[in-house]
This record gives sequence, structure tokens and C-alpha cells, in this order.
Amino acid sequence: MTTVPLLSPVFTPIPLQLSDFSVDYLVSIIAVTLQVSLTAVALATVAGVALAVVVGFTDFPGKRLVEAVINTGMGFPSVVVGLVVLIMLSNTGPLGEFDLLFSPGAMIISQFILALPVVASVSLSAIESVDESLADAAFAAGGTGRDVQVAVLREARYGITTAILAGFGRAISEVGSVLIVGGNIALNTPTGERVSFTRTLTTAITLEARKGEIETGIVLGVVLVALALTVNALGNALRARGEH
Amino acid sequence: MLDAERISYGYSDEETIVRDVSLSATEGEVLGLIGPSGTGKTTLLRLLALFDPPDDGTVYVDGTDAWSLSKEKRTRTRRRIGMVFQDRSLFSTSVAHNAAYGLAVRRSWTERATDWLSGLVGGPDLAAPVEDALETVGLAEMADRPAASLSAGEAQRVAFARALATEPDVLLLDEPTSNLDPRNTAVIEEAVAAARDRGIGVVIATHDMQQAERIADSVAVLLDGTVIEQGPADELFESPSDDRARAFIDGELVY
Amino acid sequence: MQAAGAGSALGLAGCLGGNESTPTETEGDGGGGGQSDDDGGESSIGDGTLTLATTTSTYDTGLLDVVNTAFQNTFDITVETISQGTGAAIRTGRNGDADIILVHARGPEDQFIRDGAGVNRRDVMFNDFVIVGPPDDPAGINGMGSATEAFATIAEQEATFLSRGDDSGTNVKELNIWEEAGVDPSGSWYQETGQGMGDTLVQANQAGGYTLADRGTFLATQDNIDLVIHVQGPLQDGPAILRNPYGVIPVNPAVHDNVNYQAAMAYVGFLTSPEGQSIIGDYTANGSQLFFPNALAEEPDFAQYVPQDYGGTSAAREKARFQHWVDQVVPDDY
Repeated sequence: MTTVPLLSPVFTPIPLQLSDFSVDYLVSIIAVTLQVSLTAVALATVAGVALAVVVGFTDFPGKRLVEAVINTGMGFPSVVVGLVVLIMLSNTGPLGEFDLLFSPGAMIISQFILALPVVASVSLSAIESVDESLADAAFAAGGTGRDVQVAVLREARYGITTAILAGFGRAISEVGSVLIVGGNIALNTPTGERVSFTRTLTTAITLEARKGEIETGIVLGVVLVALALTVNALGNALRARGEH
Repeated sequence: MLDAERISYGYSDEETIVRDVSLSATEGEVLGLIGPSGTGKTTLLRLLALFDPPDDGTVYVDGTDAWSLSKEKRTRTRRRIGMVFQDRSLFSTSVAHNAAYGLAVRRSWTERATDWLSGLVGGPDLAAPVEDALETVGLAEMADRPAASLSAGEAQRVAFARALATEPDVLLLDEPTSNLDPRNTAVIEEAVAAARDRGIGVVIATHDMQQAERIADSVAVLLDGTVIEQGPADELFESPSDDRARAFIDGELVY
Repeated sequence: MQAAGAGSALGLAGCLGGNESTPTETEGDGGGGGQSDDDGGESSIGDGTLTLATTTSTYDTGLLDVVNTAFQNTFDITVETISQGTGAAIRTGRNGDADIILVHARGPEDQFIRDGAGVNRRDVMFNDFVIVGPPDDPAGINGMGSATEAFATIAEQEATFLSRGDDSGTNVKELNIWEEAGVDPSGSWYQETGQGMGDTLVQANQAGGYTLADRGTFLATQDNIDLVIHVQGPLQDGPAILRNPYGVIPVNPAVHDNVNYQAAMAYVGFLTSPEGQSIIGDYTANGSQLFFPNALAEEPDFAQYVPQDYGGTSAAREKARFQHWVDQVVPDDY
């Protein structure tokens, strides 16, 4: 048991009982969390922005329906996604041969599916709120269709950055589906220490709560929040710089 | 060089915005397009700028039907036409970037990427045409300012510079000074004159009669989507033949 | 020159042909030792990983960290442990998503091997279940020598009882006891948490209710809760119905040829070996031994290998079975 002295306002150290948690183990959990979420969000950005561009710049029958589906996807229950991905990637499922179940790859897939509608929807909203006269101006200046798209995207960059951050938020706070398809696996080093394989901060919290180790769960939660805040701050900084 | 021959256009089958209009943008001449607001001036200019094909009639560029060309050829043709809109429509970048936009789209993507990269490192100065254009509108010192920080008048001048920088053969202006103060209006009108003197054919839509009298060489009166009268400016303002045209010129509401 | 080339080409072909007929060579897996092609090199078995689906009670006690580390150091196989409920672990095994399962519900285990989904079952260890509840014992079951009587009393008193409700081994045992007691539990006093043992204990603690827990998890969680043992299990002279044996079952490679069967058998071998068994016996939490190894015995214990209701074999049955195999695998023109 590790004890961590916590100074209360009256400066009396209160020992926090944490379960066996080496720094290396914690670092490995953070590493897996970031690796999975950042990859998933990167993929979701590429696909989501592309989707938003296609839907935002073309008129086609059923456009309203597609927009509605994208928007609904934002709130789609994540455990359902997890179950579907589980069935797909299982050995008995259609994609079983790729041996992805219970690996970070499966987690990336499920976080990608969850983040995609968020990125697409918010990006689409950003693109559609760019004044049409700007698109006209780009066209009149001699721009091709592609030029117009780029000009509008550049104008929408603030909104698109928001979209990416929102997608990241969805991905990193994900528990249910990631637990189902990842298996919450931690490996043992030759000295018996734990190192995460498919264990993220959220699934680690689940595990600690299951064991009744509430304090450890809270500490992990604080780390998770700090991580999310840091990424958001970085995103905001990038966004502010991009304004000039 | 840019001729519209009996063009018509409607957004849907019920409404026709522009009906049977024929007019031309001639080198070194300013054509004033006057008429009440909402009468189709903007749509007409957009047709001339080759945004959409007319439902009827033809738009000729140097004698060729613009819409019979391939998309690439038509894009190149469009680049000989500059346009300034009623609302500024500047990008939220710097003045210089806005002014140079017309030139930028003519470069390949690799060239543009290198431009951007060298811009980050503090690369080459503005291209000559861009500098000239900004000089013409009197904003050369503001090149690095963010476009969002400009006043309405300054922004419109930048939009004008953006259209000028590409050295077009035709300049289409949609009520460019309708929201501006007298000083900025004067700057724009001087820039129009300068463009005309350089041999550019200008078509300027305006509902400001005095402005038309000041700068137009010839005038077309547009009412309910058709040209009811067209001719040299001084003649038309002196003695318009059409009654409704006279009523409009005299300042009465024409409906 | 050309003849030599042709000769070596033929030789190579013969070599490859020979490989394909070896039963240990399966697609993807490199097989054991020598004939492994590219990704082997070192002495990996299969792809060098063993996916173990097990229960939350085995994992949460921390036993597997020790056992798996020792196993990995011996065999150079990485163990990837997925801790789910017994029901989920068995399902994972059935799908071939795990190579081996380690669970503690004899009924479902029997079904698993009866269906041919698993082979070579071994007993590994045991402990027992205990009935725990709030220190003030509102239902008055403390010290009872019968689990069924205790449950019946709880139902009668409508004292709060938390059930795992998740197809876990503990849940299966709990439902067994209700059945034996002739009670069909329902009502607002009977709450299904659908969660792991630790969560359920914590919840029972907060709700001031009773629950059935495996002794191992209870001992490991004891520091964080106020619940106490009211009915002991057989380890402390309690009723036999509260026994909790654990079994390990490799997934049948004939059903899923992608499972790392050799690694699974190595794991079984390790768990049931003197070394593995002593690791299990030496493991303690909060100063108490959690699991009792029961794989090593001089006297035979056939019951562990077959479903509990297996009628045994006879000469006639064995003969028929042999004939079946001859028909199956020996070619007609042999």
C-alpha cells in the first residue's frame, strides 16, 4: 500500500491509502489512453472533416436526412457501439481474422466510431455558418471549387478545432465500449509489476472501483481530468494563434 | 469583351429575376447599372461573372459562348473578370493575404504551400500587382493588418484591391459604396476611374443616381429584371425616353 | 548447374510438402520449435501470447499477477488476462476469442466441456463462499450452519440482499442456494447489482445488506468495508454447499484452430505443477491465505476431467469410439 500525505487546510497530513500503483504502471496507463484516443481522433478528424465538406458543399436528395443521422450519431450510446464492434471483431465474426479483439486496435476502432459523428457534426455546423458571400468572393476571385472549399474551411477553422476537441473529449472519457472490446488488460513484467496493454484511465478507474479502492479511483479521475484539460488548453492555444 | 445577349434567369420556374437582358462591358468604359434595389442587379452581375449559366440567352467572352467552354477554360476566363460585392466578404486573414488571394489561386498547390511556408519564416514581399492595387486604394501601409480590424470603408477598399490585383479585363462592382462614408466612397470612385483609364471595362451597379452621373460613361436602367433604357450617360440623364426611367431618375419611386 | 538447381527446388518442395502434412502446423501459427518460419526465432509457442479469460474474483485478489509473472518467466509467453464474469469468460472461450478459461462454476464448466468447447479440464484450487452482512445482523442469521436456512430466513425477513445478477460463478452459486432453499427471491429487498464482487460488496456495505461473496475477494476487500461474515463456508466448518472450486479449461483447438493450444496446455501444466500449486498456496492478502491448491494428489481424481454426471466408459463404448476415429481419419486406401 502506498500512502500519500495530503495536507488539509489545517496542515494535518492525512494518509491516502492507494492500492498497489507504481509510477511506471500509471505512466503506461496514461500512454495507452493517449495513444488510443489521439489515434482515434486523428482518424475521426480526417474522415469527419471530409464528410462535413462533402455534405456541406453539395446539395443532394436526402441531405437533411444525412445531416440528421450525423447529429444523432453524436449522442449514440457507446456501449452499443462496443457490443457491435465486439461481434464484428470476435473470432466468430466477419472481421475475426484480423485478430483485433482485446487489443488497442479494437479500442481505436470503437473510439473512432464514437468520435466521428461529433467531429463531423460540429465541423459541418462550422462550415455552414460561414457566410455564403465568402464562398462567392473566393469563386469570383477565380477560385476553382476546391479553392472555394479551402477558403471556407479556413474561415471555419475555429469551429473545426472545436469539433476536434469535442471529438477528443468523447474519445478519452469513453468507458463502456472500450472495456468490452479492449478487455482492460494489463501485462506483468518479469518482476511482477503491472504495465498496461489495453487499460486506459477510464477502465482502470472501473477496475479500482470494482475492488472497492475508491480513493485510487478518484486519483485516477483527477489525472484524467488534468489530461483532458491540458489537451483542451493546447487546442485553444492553437486556435487563438490561428486567428492571426 | 464581355457581352450578355438576351439572357434570362430565374431561381425557380415561377420567378424570373432577369429577363431578356442584353448589355456589354467595353474596354475603357464604365457602364452604370441603375435601378431600384431588389430589381435583379446582383443576379445580373453574377451571371456576367459566370457563377451560373443563364436559363436563356448567351454570355459571350471575346465572342465565345462562355458556357460552351470546358470547366478549366471557363475558370481561366473567369480570372479575367474581377468582382467586388456589396458586403465586404474578406477572409479573416491579413490585408495582404486578402489582396493577394486572386493571384494565389492561380498558383499550383505546391507553389502555394511553399509560399505559405516561406511566409512563416518571413519570406518575400508582396508581388508587384498586389502592391500597386493596395496603393491605388490607398492602403499600402496596412498590408499586415488583420482584415477583421478594418472599418467598413477600409475593408471595401481591400476587396477592391483584391479584384484589381489580378489585372482583370473586366471589373464588376455590386453597389460597392452603398454603406460607406463620403471619403471612402470618393477613394473607390477614384479607383474606378483609374481602372477605366487603364483600359479595364467596368460595370457598376448602383442605386445612387449622383454616383452614376459622376462616374458612368454609359448607363443601363434595370427595372423588374429588364433593361428599359440604355445609352450614353449624359444623354440618358438629360432626356430619358422611357417614362418609368425618367421617373426613377427624377427620384420618384417606380412601382 | 541446372540439374543442381532443379534438385534443390524439388528438395525444397518436398520440405514444404512435408510441413503441410504435420498436424502441429496450422495457418498463421508457426507451430512449435524447429519448423517455425519467420516470426519465431526464439522459443515462442504459437504467437507467444496466451489470452486467458477469467473471473473478476480471481483477478481482483492479485493472485494472477504473481502466477502469470512466474509463468511468463518460465515460458516466454505473454499472458493477456481478461477479467470478466464466469458467464462472459465462458462465452469468450466459446467464441475462440480466448485460448483458455479459469472459472469457478462447475455447472457451466460442465456444459462447456460437454459441448466440446473445451478440453483437458483440471481442478486448480478452491476456497469457499461466505454469507456476509451488516455487523448488526438485522435478519439474525449469524452462526447458522446451513446456507439454505440462512437464505430462507433472509427472504422471510425481507432483509436487503444484493445479488451479482451477472452470470458469474458467485451468482450461479447464489441462485443454486435459493433453489435448494425452495425460495424464489423477488421483491424490493432483493437487489441485482449486475456488477463485480468488489462493487457488490461496497454496495452491500453502503446499503446495509447481505450478500454472498467468495472468501478471497471478501478478505481482500475487508479493509474498505464494515461487513462481517455471518455464515461460514466449509473452510471454517461451514456447509459444503458453499464450496468454491476453480477449474482451468483450454479451448478446444478442433473447434477454433487459431487458439494457442500449446500455450494453454503449458499454462495448465504450470498451474497444476508443484511450483504453480505452491505459488497459489503461498499467496496471501491482508495476512490470510486466499486459495487452497488441489491439483496435486497421489490418488486419482477422475471427476475433475469430466462433467459431474458422466456415466463413465465401458469396453463396448471404447470400441465404438475407436471405430469412429478409424472411419474418420484413416484413408480408405491405407
